[in-house]
Amino acid sequence: MSRNTGEFTVADAYPYNHAGVRRWIFSHVLRYRFLFLRAVLLFLIGWSAMAWVRVLIGDAAREITSPSGPNGLLMAALAVLVVSLIDSFAHLGGSLSIETIAQKLAHDSREELYVSLLGKSQTFHDRQRVGDIMARATDDVNQLDFMVHPGIFFIIEIVLGLGLPIVYIAFINWQLILVPSLFVLVYIVTVRSYFRRLSPVIGAQRMSFGIMNAGLEETISGIEVVKGSARESFERRKFTRNAKAVRDYLVQQGTIEARYLPYLFYGLALGLSFLHTMMLFGQGRLDFGGVVAVTGLVSAMRFPVFISVFAFTLVQLGIAGGERILELIKASADMDENVGGHSGRVEGDVVFENVSFGYEDGMVLQDISFHVRPGETVAIVGQTGSGKSTLTDLINRTYDVSAGRILIDGVDIRDWQLDSVRSQISRIEQDVFLFSRSIADNIAFGMPTASRERIEEVAREAQAHEFIESFAAGYETEIGERGVMLSGGQRQRLALARAFLSEPRILILDDSTSAIDSATEDEIQHAINRARRGRTTLLITHRLSQIRWADHIIVLDEGRLVAGGKHEELLRDSDLYRRIFARYDVALPAAEPLPQGQGER
Amino acid sequence: MGFIMDGLDAEEYDRQYSDRELVRRILGYFRPEGKRMVLVAGAILSTSLLNTGLPIFISQSIDRVAADPSQRNLILALLGTVLLGALAWLFNALRQWQSATAIGNVTLRLRQDAMDAVLRRDLSFYDSYPTGKIVSRVTSDTQAFSAVVTLTTDLMSQFLLVVLLIGYLFTVSARLTVILLVLAPVIVATALGFRHIARKTITQSRRVQAEVSAHIQETVSGIRIAKTFRQERSIHEDFLEVNTRSYRINLISGYTFSSIFPLLGLLAGLGTTALVYFGIIDAREGALSAGTWFLFIQGMQMFWFPLTSIASFWSQFQLGLAAGERVFALIDDEPKVIQRDERVLPAIAGEISFDRVDFRYTDKEQVLQDFSLTIHPGETLALVGHTGSGKSSIGKLIARFYEFQGGHIRIDGVDIRDLDLHAYRSKLGMVAQTPFLFDGSVRENIRYGKPDAGDEAVERSAQLVGHGDWLRSLPEGLDTAVGERGGGLSMGQRQLVALARVLLQDPSIFILDEATASVDPLTETLIQEGLDLVLAQRTSIVIAHRLSTIRHADRIIALRQGEIIEEGDHDGLLAQGGHYAELYNTYFRHQSLEYIEAAGQLLNGAA
Repeated sequence: MSRNTGEFTVADAYPYNHAGVRRWIFSHVLRYRFLFLRAVLLFLIGWSAMAWVRVLIGDAAREITSPSGPNGLLMAALAVLVVSLIDSFAHLGGSLSIETIAQKLAHDSREELYVSLLGKSQTFHDRQRVGDIMARATDDVNQLDFMVHPGIFFIIEIVLGLGLPIVYIAFINWQLILVPSLFVLVYIVTVRSYFRRLSPVIGAQRMSFGIMNAGLEETISGIEVVKGSARESFERRKFTRNAKAVRDYLVQQGTIEARYLPYLFYGLALGLSFLHTMMLFGQGRLDFGGVVAVTGLVSAMRFPVFISVFAFTLVQLGIAGGERILELIKASADMDENVGGHSGRVEGDVVFENVSFGYEDGMVLQDISFHVRPGETVAIVGQTGSGKSTLTDLINRTYDVSAGRILIDGVDIRDWQLDSVRSQISRIEQDVFLFSRSIADNIAFGMPTASRERIEEVAREAQAHEFIESFAAGYETEIGERGVMLSGGQRQRLALARAFLSEPRILILDDSTSAIDSATEDEIQHAINRARRGRTTLLITHRLSQIRWADHIIVLDEGRLVAGGKHEELLRDSDLYRRIFARYDVALPAAEPLPQGQGER
Repeated sequence: MGFIMDGLDAEEYDRQYSDRELVRRILGYFRPEGKRMVLVAGAILSTSLLNTGLPIFISQSIDRVAADPSQRNLILALLGTVLLGALAWLFNALRQWQSATAIGNVTLRLRQDAMDAVLRRDLSFYDSYPTGKIVSRVTSDTQAFSAVVTLTTDLMSQFLLVVLLIGYLFTVSARLTVILLVLAPVIVATALGFRHIARKTITQSRRVQAEVSAHIQETVSGIRIAKTFRQERSIHEDFLEVNTRSYRINLISGYTFSSIFPLLGLLAGLGTTALVYFGIIDAREGALSAGTWFLFIQGMQMFWFPLTSIASFWSQFQLGLAAGERVFALIDDEPKVIQRDERVLPAIAGEISFDRVDFRYTDKEQVLQDFSLTIHPGETLALVGHTGSGKSSIGKLIARFYEFQGGHIRIDGVDIRDLDLHAYRSKLGMVAQTPFLFDGSVRENIRYGKPDAGDEAVERSAQLVGHGDWLRSLPEGLDTAVGERGGGLSMGQRQLVALARVLLQDPSIFILDEATASVDPLTETLIQEGLDLVLAQRTSIVIAHRLSTIRHADRIIALRQGEIIEEGDHDGLLAQGGHYAELYNTYFRHQSLEYIEAAGQLLNGAA
């Protein structure tokens, strides 16, 4: 188990070993140790049978020169058939057992990854790209699946397929194991060196293909710019350069694969062991049946040599995939639920005291102080990247401050119970996220027990009722890929309805949606105005009307609070703020003799 | 085990090639590799002969040594086996090495041709086909095609081995060979039967995989909402259900694949038993030697493997050929925009005239009909209208991105179809609604339209836009990486970069499709300031969405369904109370100061 419990845990989770990727995979497989043992046992039977068939064929060969009775041949042939059947069915059983483990491993590791993702902090999720997590949860999990079946399955086959024939040869004549045993040693050395040379080339080849693909995708996505700027030949050269790199690695890979030495040594071993067999045969220490059996057994070793190429690649890929999954699972969860913390009704008094926040690579917010009284509306203005969203993220403890403190109703938020404080603060994002469910379910997301009347009521308050009713299925309309696509303004109003239902004490609204037309703008204005009534509201806004009329305006620039106050004060104090309104030919108040740049350091 | 069955939707430009045509095309690409391919063919033949020779030699050696176990015969047996094995390895290595080189070269040429073909297309092509599909034709389909060539050389050597072996065995014992051959159709039929089942289970497992992906994607994207509302548990329960379903379906699919080889092995066991029984009867009668009997037993193993692989790779072979066909279709398709001449205008004054132009993107909808308009040099023209009024099409036709069906478009009096497109477009500046940036630095992106500009010139134009204020918010100034498609920058910053790009390029004609996306008011101010600069110095056509732009335009054209309804300046048109006034009330009113002030009354009244 990871040390930090995280924001979400499952009570009866199976304890996997997280000490290293091999141990982690091992602990997953070990969960099905009996299934695994069964598989190994069945393969042991299968390969024994397979080797035994060669011996039985040797026995049958004796029937050519010295028949053992009228039914001798028939019995020998039947023995071959029966043992062949045992071989096939044991292999089938073993194969299915391994397959089961492979699928269980895929299922379990995905579940483990999923639970750990739910428990991670928002800081963590912000740093991860969705595409990257998706790749780990799907492709890498599949790699794990392939690693077990057919990867580990092949490895077992290699071990048994090289080992058991030697054991059987030893029973026929122990001297004859000399050449096969030497071969196995040489095989181990050459296979290792082969993979040491091949792996980096394959990796480089994959990467070069990715670069070529991404480059071409970029060219085509930007084709209007390419054509508009007449830069086709530049893009063509770029592509050719990338495609050449792919070709070079491909040829290099082919050259390495062509020199797969184990095949050569297998050929030598076959010749030498054949010589050895025939020498003993010539000396009369081995009969014809023995020659047939031993030659057959050495021939059976060809298959393991052949599948090594796939087997080791699959295992390598599986371990690499496992590593990427485990890395995510092990990443620190940062926060826990603080079950014993302060709880109670929030009045809405928010104080920032010298708050700073940042990551290892730089500060996002520095030394921010301000005070919002219950029921006030604050507009936060600043360029993209000035830290507006981060500032509001600190209020519901999506992140913890790096320095300073934030008080809600006079209590440091780190002393609040996470559930209590989060459930009373509602946040509406710029890109409103809706689940692929019905509209009603989305509005009632935070309160699944809400009645239909209540849902419609909040939808009305959020100015959403009308457009919802305009859909054929009304509140049961499905949203998302299989349902309707909503505009930014519509999504925002659904999010408002969702927030109304939970009756938050503090509302944080990232209102950066633009209305294409004036009628929608009217509706959004009404909805937001309704929303801010009776609660503390922080608005990140692009709407000049809201900035103009807020109780208080905070201007952020590069993580610092550079100006604050009412509209008139800012017109006087902030140069940038003045430039915004200058475009509207407003009669600006007499500018103070401020040097340019003051108020926006 | 590698059945690839992607949803291969056909595109409009796809065509059917006859087998003969397809083979001719493929051979055409291999012609420069002629010597190599002869070498490869020789190596394939040699490898197969040697691999067939090895078991035959072993069986004969058994007989020979059994009859006379002399030192000479033993040494001969050793040398023969080792030599055959080593030579087979050598020729196989030669084949792999040469064919990898040849296939690498062919794939490279094919990719270059496909890329050239893509770049020749006009924008109607890119409108019709999503980026991913075009990319996959150039990169993945060519890869699938080359995989097939590799596969073919592999299979050819295996197939040759089977044929040679069977041929030899037939001369030794026709009866036993027939027993061996009886199994062949059974093995092939079994392999094909499995393929049929596999296809179904694969489809199901793909579908459930997509479901799992969708669920995880939704969870990760919406994690903030789930956390805010503390709904992790209910989401987790949903996931458990999907994950379990995925486990069950994948298990079935996995079982199908796991059963193939043991079952085919069972068939081989049956064959071996038959060969043991009937072979020994024949050997006893002296119809064949003990060594030859053993050759049949060994032959069973050698014979079984190639047959199963040919059967299981057949579908991959077909898919690869289809991939080749798709690449050729891409290469052979003709662009629709065709120039009649390559005239280069030394300097463009910027007079643009549409003379009774007819235009449509597809046959379904006429966009412009009998459309005439003259834009004067240096004029700033704003186009306004509802969606579908044809305002964007005018800009795209000036850029010669599409072919029009009737009338004339003239640039400084010269027909646009007679211009050298490369020279003409380098005098054209364009900014799209969502400006596209290439992965690289801000500096590289500004320089994109004028590759020979020095650093100083780049910096100067960056400084001109919004007084250079925007550069401060870039962590590394002009060297800031913009990320994939400019994703590292905000939408507003991307527009600023695009404006700086146009300023540096200093085009004679500027076409702007104004953004509708919302930008913070500070950045918005910088963009407007930059725009004033760009618009001031050249003929500009603006597809307008911003109130401040139409206010400052020299002339406003109000369009409806490809027709000019009204034209004039803002105040005049508004006073008329016609179509423009309606457009203003729909799209621009809320951007005005009057509206902002009125909103205050609403807010204050409610508070």
